[in-house]
Amino acid sequence: MRHQLYRAFFAAAFLLLWFGPGISAWAQDSTLRIGISEEPRTLNIWLASDANSRKVLSLIYQPLYNRDPETLRISPWLAESLPEYDPETVSYTVKLRPAKWADGSDVTADDVVFTVNLIQKFKVPRYYSKWSFVREVKAVDKRTVRFFLKEPKAIFATRTLINYIVSRKEWEPLAKKAETQEKPLTALLNTKVDHPLGCGPFVLEEWREGTSLYLKKNPHFFGQGQSINQRKLGPHVDKILFKIYGTADVAILGLKKGKIDFLWWAIQPGYLEGLKDDEKVKVFLSEKSALYFMGYNVRKEPFSDPVLRRATATLIDNNFFVKRVLQGYASRMDSIVPAENSFWHAGNLPDYGQGLSRAERIRKASALLREKGYSWDTPPVDDSGEIQTPSSIRLPNGRPMQKFVILTPPADYDPNRATCGLMIQEWLNGIGVPAIARPMSFGALLQTVKGNHEFDAFILGYGRLSLDPDYLRSFFHSSNDKSRGWNMSGYRNPEFDRLAEASVSAMDPDKRQDLIHKMQQIVMRDVPYIPLYKPQVIEAVSRQFTGWEQMVGGIGNIWSLCRVKPVD
Amino acid sequence: MSKETRSQKSYTWQRFLEGWSLFYENLVGRIGLILLLVFGLMAVCSYIPPLIDPMYHPMTGVDPDVFRSTPPSAAHWLGTDNIGRDLLSQLLTGARIAFLVGISAAFMSIVFGTLIGMIAGYAGRLTDSLLMRFADMIMVMPSLLVVLLLSSLFGQLNIWIIVLLIALFRWPGISRVIRAQTLSLKERPFIDTARVAGASNLRIIFRHILPNVLPMALLYMTFRVTSAIIVEAALAFLGFGDPNTVSWGMMLQWVWKTGHMFQAPYWLLPPGICISLITLAFYMIGRAMEEVLDPRLRKEEQKV
Repeated sequence: MRHQLYRAFFAAAFLLLWFGPGISAWAQDSTLRIGISEEPRTLNIWLASDANSRKVLSLIYQPLYNRDPETLRISPWLAESLPEYDPETVSYTVKLRPAKWADGSDVTADDVVFTVNLIQKFKVPRYYSKWSFVREVKAVDKRTVRFFLKEPKAIFATRTLINYIVSRKEWEPLAKKAETQEKPLTALLNTKVDHPLGCGPFVLEEWREGTSLYLKKNPHFFGQGQSINQRKLGPHVDKILFKIYGTADVAILGLKKGKIDFLWWAIQPGYLEGLKDDEKVKVFLSEKSALYFMGYNVRKEPFSDPVLRRATATLIDNNFFVKRVLQGYASRMDSIVPAENSFWHAGNLPDYGQGLSRAERIRKASALLREKGYSWDTPPVDDSGEIQTPSSIRLPNGRPMQKFVILTPPADYDPNRATCGLMIQEWLNGIGVPAIARPMSFGALLQTVKGNHEFDAFILGYGRLSLDPDYLRSFFHSSNDKSRGWNMSGYRNPEFDRLAEASVSAMDPDKRQDLIHKMQQIVMRDVPYIPLYKPQVIEAVSRQFTGWEQMVGGIGNIWSLCRVKPVD
Repeated sequence: MSKETRSQKSYTWQRFLEGWSLFYENLVGRIGLILLLVFGLMAVCSYIPPLIDPMYHPMTGVDPDVFRSTPPSAAHWLGTDNIGRDLLSQLLTGARIAFLVGISAAFMSIVFGTLIGMIAGYAGRLTDSLLMRFADMIMVMPSLLVVLLLSSLFGQLNIWIIVLLIALFRWPGISRVIRAQTLSLKERPFIDTARVAGASNLRIIFRHILPNVLPMALLYMTFRVTSAIIVEAALAFLGFGDPNTVSWGMMLQWVWKTGHMFQAPYWLLPPGICISLITLAFYMIGRAMEEVLDPRLRKEEQKV
């Protein structure tokens, strides 16, 4: 008996020793730990505008269509197939995949209809502009939905259908309650959502505010075990833990020490050397659809003059930013549409100072300005063609140019843009243009530039520029030159407006491409925005996980998080 | 020049020489002074590198052949930052900024503190209570936090605004000390004599009290320089400094934000060490001056 007891004890100990570490490793590995920079601000999908809330919500709520990681074309996600367009009725028909919400109820066409109606009824910011041209939405049957458009819109399939769908069951009571309030939209946006009901790969398990947020696997996820676009989906992890790190240094240390598995955070190039040498860490460099630019307030003097804008564009050395400020982990931009978006990017654009030395740039810019009637007491180029320190520039009407401020985000928000502002200040000073770069808190900067238009120039960026170039219209169409409108520069050009309006309705891709190219040529001729650079995304993961799906924008995407799994 | 004035001047000179010899005998004071002279030399030398080559301009000069942070070399004795700017030029300019911020903020706070302290002490009663309660209110405010808040409200602050803010938050300590001195001074016979002779209050304050509290004010100035430099460095490090100024705090912010904190010790350490040493220098000088001014702190054989 005693021997049997001993044997049982040793067998148990052996089993524990043999499988124990394995079990604990498995238990640990099945949780993917992601480091993020800040706490998500909300789980209310209609309010979420910060990157971290959207990262979490992108794993809970799902859109009808997603972009294929390779081709970047729209591909069915919650929808079963590509939308069918009927030119006669100007309508799109979308068939849904059999799918369930996380509570086990079916995702139906009614939910889609409800989502669109809610956005239209409340005019939800960020979403309304994408759905405003939809006249009616009808549920044809339980899994088929039909969208009737007011007029043909090319952006419907590429921009509108990639928005999230919410559950009627979750939002109908909340929307009804909001409607009874004095300000329904504000009430809707302020609705506290503790447990968002989605149909994505994960659902919220727990949010410990200030430290971490847990997601767990959604057993009803429609993609589980399915192949979409030849990619077999999981998720293969049981949980996702979002850990909040205040600073990049601590987060990177956490990654190196194995405290997190993925840093969902654009890493500064300076950290790269230390990460590349680490055997436990894998670094991904990805292209990004982005635009970092300097914009002018063209509503008022002196930048209402396109010649002055062209001269300053000549002085700005984009290669300096790419090579030095971003350490080569970026590419130069010569248009508002990134060159990598090859179908839409236009050729034959003015290259301003490209390839010129600093002295040559100053000569070219001062010649441009002198021709237009600008003058100096001491010009930047002397009679023998040598560069000298100039006096302050005078406008063509003889008045000295007033000091003007280039607003940039502060260095703690984006050191690169703050540095670019300083360099541009110095380059413009070199030709007697009295520029001062002033970093300003990001919220105040947006308020100044978008709200009251009381500014001279600014440096901003779009980190997630849509692949459809409809943003060209948003940025420069005169109808968007309004308070909180997207036309921050106040650019107005009837020729551009006409082309922009035509481009929205052009259903033939080649015709639309031609229009988009012409729009870029006009913008780059008049330069209300000077494109500066497009950074690469530097991301790092632990080698404990594999299956990351790299696409434009990095590895932090729904495909990756549906496919990533622990290394065996 | 009358005979009396001349003898008064020679007396002042005599007192200064006595004070100086006491200061010079103090090892701590000597070290502080030497350190300060080194930093003074650095500040003066900061004008030289940009004259040698424009690439040594601390803000805009970049080495055309350097595209990333490089360790010390013959061309760049302390190395370069991530965009190819010379770190030594930045460090030398940082010394200039430290003096500018430290001395001007400390001077301003001394002026505010001394004036308010003297007025409160001399006037007494309600004025004293009001001024001192106001000083208490300012004293308990977390100055760094308030400056940070102001900075985030009004955008990035100019270096002179930062100096003024530091001064505005750092005077109450001095005003308390000066008030205490004034309270004791105003009871002395020479003040009564002046009053009886018909001197106005302003004359008594500025002609009779001020010269007596000035040494104490100057002593406190050395301590205020230290705190002003630290506040400016902290502000700059946290990203709220004047972006057009190359200060040591700014250098630390750049090394941190560009991700070179653990990659480039030649960039991280010099500004950090300089901040420590310059504040130490002022502190050491302050301690030595304290001994000169307060005979109770001196060793027995030094007491004069």
